[in-house]
Amino acid sequence: MHPADEFQQTLTRRHFFGRTATGLGMAALASLFQRDASAATAGLDGLPHFAPKAKRVIFLHQSGGPSHIELFDYKPQLGKLHGQELPDSVRRGQRITGMTSGQSTFPVVAPIYKFRQHGQSGTWLSELIPYHGKIVDDIAIVKTVHTDAINHDPAITFIQSGSQQPGRPSLGSWVSYGLGTENENLPAFVVFVSQTSGLNIDQPLFSRLWGAGFLPSNYQGVQFRSGGDPVLYLSDPPGISRDGRRRMLDSLESLNRMRHDAFGDPEIETRIGQYEMAFRMQTSVPELMDLSKEPESTFELYGPDSRKPGTYAFHCLMARRLAERGVRFIQLYKRGWDQHGDLPRDLALQCQATDQPSAALVMDLKQRGLLDDTLVVWGGEFGRTIYCQGKLTATNYGRDHHPRCFTMWMAGGGVKPGLVMGQTDDHSYNIVEDPVHVHDLQATILHSLGIDHTRLTYKFQGRWFRLTDVHGEVVKKMLA
Amino acid sequence: MRAILAGILLVAPHLAAAPKIDFNRDIRPILSDRCFACHGPDDGKRMANLRLDTREGAFAERKGYAIVKPGDARASRLFERIATDKPALRMPPAHSAATPALSAEQVELIRRWIDEGAAWGTHWAYTPPTRPALPRVQRENRVRNPIDAFVLARLEQEGVEPSPAADKATLLRRVSFDLTGLPPSPEELDAFLRDRSDDAYEKAVERLLLSPHYGERMAMQWLDLARYADTHGYHIDSHRDMWHWRDWLISVFNRNLPFDRFTVEQLAGDLLPEPSQEQLIATGFNRNHMINFEGGAIPEEYHAEYVADRVEVTSTVWMGMTMGCARCHDHKYDPIRQKDFYSFFAFFNTVPEKGLDGRTGNAEPFLQLPSYAQKQRLDEVTRLLKQKEEAFPEKEVEAAMAEWEKQRLDTLPAPPRDGLLAHYELDATLADTSGHYRHGRAVRGEVVFGGGIAGGSASLSGETHASFPSAAPIATDKPFTIAFWNRAAGKPIEQVILHKVEDAATRRGFEFGQDEFIPLPELKRGVRFFFRLTHRSPDSAISLRTRERFFSGDWHHAAIVYDGSGRAAGVQLYLNGKLREVEVLADSLSGPVESAAPLETGNKQIASPYKGNLDDYRFYGRVLAPAEIEQLAVHEPIRVALYSGGKRSKEEQDRLRAYFLERDAPEHLRAAHAELLELRAEKKALDRDIPTTMVMAEMEKPRDTFVLMRGDYRSHGEKVTPEVPAALPPLPAGAPRNRLGLAQWLVDPRHPLTARVAVNRYWEMYFGTGLVETSEDFGSQGAPPSHPELLDWLATEFVRTGWDVKAMQRLIVTSATYRQASRVTPQLLERDPRNRLLARGPRFRLPAEVVRDNALAVSGLLNSQLGGPSVFPYQPPNVWEEIAYGDVFSAQTYSQSHGADLYRRSLYTFWKRTAPPPAMMTFDAPDREKCTARRSRTNTPLQALVLLNDPTYVEAARALAGGMIHHGGRDPGQRIRYAYKRVLARAPHSKEVQVLRDLAERQQAEYRKSPELARDLLGVGETEADRGVRPDELAAWTVVASTILNLDEAISKE
Repeated sequence: MHPADEFQQTLTRRHFFGRTATGLGMAALASLFQRDASAATAGLDGLPHFAPKAKRVIFLHQSGGPSHIELFDYKPQLGKLHGQELPDSVRRGQRITGMTSGQSTFPVVAPIYKFRQHGQSGTWLSELIPYHGKIVDDIAIVKTVHTDAINHDPAITFIQSGSQQPGRPSLGSWVSYGLGTENENLPAFVVFVSQTSGLNIDQPLFSRLWGAGFLPSNYQGVQFRSGGDPVLYLSDPPGISRDGRRRMLDSLESLNRMRHDAFGDPEIETRIGQYEMAFRMQTSVPELMDLSKEPESTFELYGPDSRKPGTYAFHCLMARRLAERGVRFIQLYKRGWDQHGDLPRDLALQCQATDQPSAALVMDLKQRGLLDDTLVVWGGEFGRTIYCQGKLTATNYGRDHHPRCFTMWMAGGGVKPGLVMGQTDDHSYNIVEDPVHVHDLQATILHSLGIDHTRLTYKFQGRWFRLTDVHGEVVKKMLA
Repeated sequence: MRAILAGILLVAPHLAAAPKIDFNRDIRPILSDRCFACHGPDDGKRMANLRLDTREGAFAERKGYAIVKPGDARASRLFERIATDKPALRMPPAHSAATPALSAEQVELIRRWIDEGAAWGTHWAYTPPTRPALPRVQRENRVRNPIDAFVLARLEQEGVEPSPAADKATLLRRVSFDLTGLPPSPEELDAFLRDRSDDAYEKAVERLLLSPHYGERMAMQWLDLARYADTHGYHIDSHRDMWHWRDWLISVFNRNLPFDRFTVEQLAGDLLPEPSQEQLIATGFNRNHMINFEGGAIPEEYHAEYVADRVEVTSTVWMGMTMGCARCHDHKYDPIRQKDFYSFFAFFNTVPEKGLDGRTGNAEPFLQLPSYAQKQRLDEVTRLLKQKEEAFPEKEVEAAMAEWEKQRLDTLPAPPRDGLLAHYELDATLADTSGHYRHGRAVRGEVVFGGGIAGGSASLSGETHASFPSAAPIATDKPFTIAFWNRAAGKPIEQVILHKVEDAATRRGFEFGQDEFIPLPELKRGVRFFFRLTHRSPDSAISLRTRERFFSGDWHHAAIVYDGSGRAAGVQLYLNGKLREVEVLADSLSGPVESAAPLETGNKQIASPYKGNLDDYRFYGRVLAPAEIEQLAVHEPIRVALYSGGKRSKEEQDRLRAYFLERDAPEHLRAAHAELLELRAEKKALDRDIPTTMVMAEMEKPRDTFVLMRGDYRSHGEKVTPEVPAALPPLPAGAPRNRLGLAQWLVDPRHPLTARVAVNRYWEMYFGTGLVETSEDFGSQGAPPSHPELLDWLATEFVRTGWDVKAMQRLIVTSATYRQASRVTPQLLERDPRNRLLARGPRFRLPAEVVRDNALAVSGLLNSQLGGPSVFPYQPPNVWEEIAYGDVFSAQTYSQSHGADLYRRSLYTFWKRTAPPPAMMTFDAPDREKCTARRSRTNTPLQALVLLNDPTYVEAARALAGGMIHHGGRDPGQRIRYAYKRVLARAPHSKEVQVLRDLAERQQAEYRKSPELARDLLGVGETEADRGVRPDELAAWTVVASTILNLDEAISKE
């Protein structure tokens, strides 16, 4: 880290220690940057760069690549093209994955599901996602997101870290590095991996997706789990009562304090604080996970699965509870959107598990007045091809990965409600109007948080790195 | 504010003592960080045709003005543009957000530099180190070796007092951690304290350098650099075997292989004349990168990644150079052109490897490491196999098989229908074709039909519940035979495949299923099949299971034959047409098993739903003869395949061929086929059993290398050949233009970087910060060295001693500088908070591995075995499973080790890149996806949770408590003293004893009142609790021990 930044970081950390700079003395403060930032509670000085619209982000990542063709990108004329070969004039020699590059034909498949209009905005939506119909006037749908990668690992790494190859900090860790947290008893960056609901678990995930990359490791996302401890090692071991733990921590603190008095290393002081925060987390996390005080109406809103730990619906509800508690970045992963084959069946199962809870989250945030300062992002790492993968029958087909255009939506946090943005060509293959590159999307998310994506930087290996590399334009059109 | 402070911090100490500006120390870092991005080495992006990274550029005469006019800042355009108060003209421009503005102090520095004559110098790190003379110091008695002269000279110049020597015990604990990663034992401590000779410390250092754990300690740092892991990293992230390389690494540190040979063997061991097996293993260094086999990925794309990774790792590890920055364009700060990157790339681009590989372990090329006997046999089998395959009469087989197919259909008997009460072909529907019309239906979820073994098959999602009325009319006193095909997917837990059970409590009826997976090396998903015939669970039932295990992902034909006797002896289990040995688990059936319940699969009330396939279910109301069962299991799939004529799937075709060659072909063909099968099986078994390790090799015909425009594998630019960066010395005369030449170049004493980077990294290991803080970047953007002369002296000393690694460690740890007390006085904290002047010893938290190893060591649990395959210590459930792909691949489900493997040192923990050991990550271990030159060092609440609650540390606390009671006897003070000595290598103060005594008393009171709590606590961990101690007492002292293990001091090196 650059000494200037380290120094700056320690300045902001004084909030955590509850001391003023004068109290501790400048030199003592300076000593704190001998190690990297200890606590992620405070953000960087000077951030946010400008007045933020959103204080926090909920990113509903739909892993595998949901089909924009079946869900959002309505093309009434596709029926006529059904079964016809995809014209070269559309594909234009663009690369495709090794899974379909060997196919002798690329027949266009019209979606098997019907679309209808919803809301005041008259937005077209698939019959697979009826609950989304209730939120179309609150969300901004972008049909023209595009990415550089054509396979899962690089594409999901790209949308989560701005680079197709591992090694960079994730979006959530950038945000918690920049802005810190508003709740000292919970991590700034929380991650949920939902159970799979379809027949197909594709694809695997990687902890790098919520990793800190080259940022200090305390900025990595903390995964909240469904079985066992919600946070690893949170519970006291069997045979330790709460009173016993308190006694033990009191003894520990007095011993650590003696050492600090004798040795003078401020690091010891920090450690004392961390044990207290750990103790508080032992209460705050179970309280967070406890749904017994939620009214019946909540479960009706999110659907019956929301009672079942580990489901996407449960996690959407958790996301709202975390948002209420001021957690900065809440990242969900829902796997199973990779429909290379059996798309009609598997996509329907996937929508069954996600449509209601995704919509419920937006409605719930709205009714609680949280949507104004919470940015909700929904989408996968790419879309799916207009042409069929495998055998096309009357009732069955598959689609390969498609990076050239796909649909995402955002809500709240300064995003224009009821917007449908972007135009793709007749084959839902290329973008005709308003392309939004993944880096643009990332820039826009940061913008919503009051961060200039070109100025949230970290020096590593001699270079000032940022989430959006040297790219990215804020998509002004999406903003209210 | 931020920049001003930085300026003061960086410069203030120099200003006082050295009024003259030093270009490399004071000016170049500013120019580099704030100007080079647009006015630096990158030809593609240079603005205003101005470059400030070269003397020529900075001093060039422009039209009517000078950029830098030595001696006159006011007449220098550089100064004018950075000092102007017109925002539109000021450099760096405000809109260049990634380049922060210059502070007033920095502007002032540049003014003074120009006014003082604008002395220029090349970047220090690109000039070979020359051996500086030792500086004179006033207090020579404080100099133990030359290191101290440099450090002391600086301290005297700054007027800072060095710290006194650390006390002996602290020092021994410090150096033991530093040289072995383990704490001193009480015996070692006592011996050291007793030894009053002048060289007692030097002797202790010698002992530690000779410890086999020294190699482990040194390896830890190198494993991060080498991005060593036990899985491939990308996507599915299945396992690889690189532990032979890891063990090689430990062994060469222990036998003190000189650093130059260490370098050559890792980069180019395969290119040495007649390389030894060890030298080949060593080259695994550059195969430790991530490898991909994601379906659909493009091989060229990933191949380029592998090679680029080698360039980045090699340049970072040996040269502290960020060559990766020149992959897409010329380097912004250092003199590395994009062409240099790809010329370097060319050294590593000629490995005979595939872009997508690693599905089943190591990727090509790899080295087999057979025993002598294995090697002999493998050669023989390979030779025989080749010979037999060539001799196999393929044409004759084809002709004979065509003939056979024509007439065999007529001679294959149809399966028996006598007594057939239910039959579901499950080809495309759930219809009953026995003539009884008891069609099945999906109760929940969907049944999908796909490829099967006798025609199509039913595919069940793991969410599906299907029901077949009256399809299994069993009764206790009536014989029956149930036969069907099944193939399970997923789920490592017990699965009931078919059941007819009246209710979940009594379980009256029958269940057939498979037990939980056991991951066996050759049978990753090995399961036993079970059958239960129940009147009332659990006391009135027949329950049995196969002794043998079967691979759960294969198709299996199951037949359950029951004679109506009500006894276990009356049940026979056939798998794949053969009667199997069974274990009888219960034989107590005492009542009726019949009920009106339907035959089902996936009824959640009864069992967790089956995920997998079902095919050709039959129920006979009689005992089928072995031949009849064989007919179902062996002949029926053939009959179906023959029926399907030309529209056969490849699987069916293969099945037919195998059947023909095994059963019906003429004798000589059957024999030839059998022989081939046997040889192939033997070769497969040998290949599986012979361990392998990935290595470097050269292609016979090397690949061409091109500059990849914008780093894109699809955009070939200029063709390049292997070459080192132009800004560094050329390859030594006579060195081959390959990896070997490259390695020789790196360890050429004239190379400016290699020795400096190596010694700096050692320094960082001991002092927490290198002399160059940015140990990964010695370039223009890196931090200037805090003690440039010391760095150069150490670098030249390293070369002078023949790159003697142990000698360098000895030199550092025996210096007075290292031996100082690490106490932080308010004066030192104020004057030099980061200890860059080295006026005190190092104090910081232990690395992740050492935190755990220390707890294991002090508690007596540590298993100090060296090397071997990686192990699986305690880990919370589902860390892997939650994000993994499923069980078709390796390393997807975590199968915890048991016994001694739980207590191995942490560097032997299996490292899965996409889900690394969580407690290690919490203590700042990297994920090992990429080379990590420097770990962050954080202090977080999650660390507290690990030390408080991870069973590893709870068990260690219990074991330590046992030791306290055993060694301390009845006296609580003695017990505490024992633990303090063991964990902290010191005696406790009376106040400390008091705090812990109180805790022990209060805990014991609680545990006396609630003995079940004590039992629970003592039950944590796999080792048995000491039965000789009262549980409430042991539990109370476990809490005390845990408190001690949680002390900041316990996890810190002081």
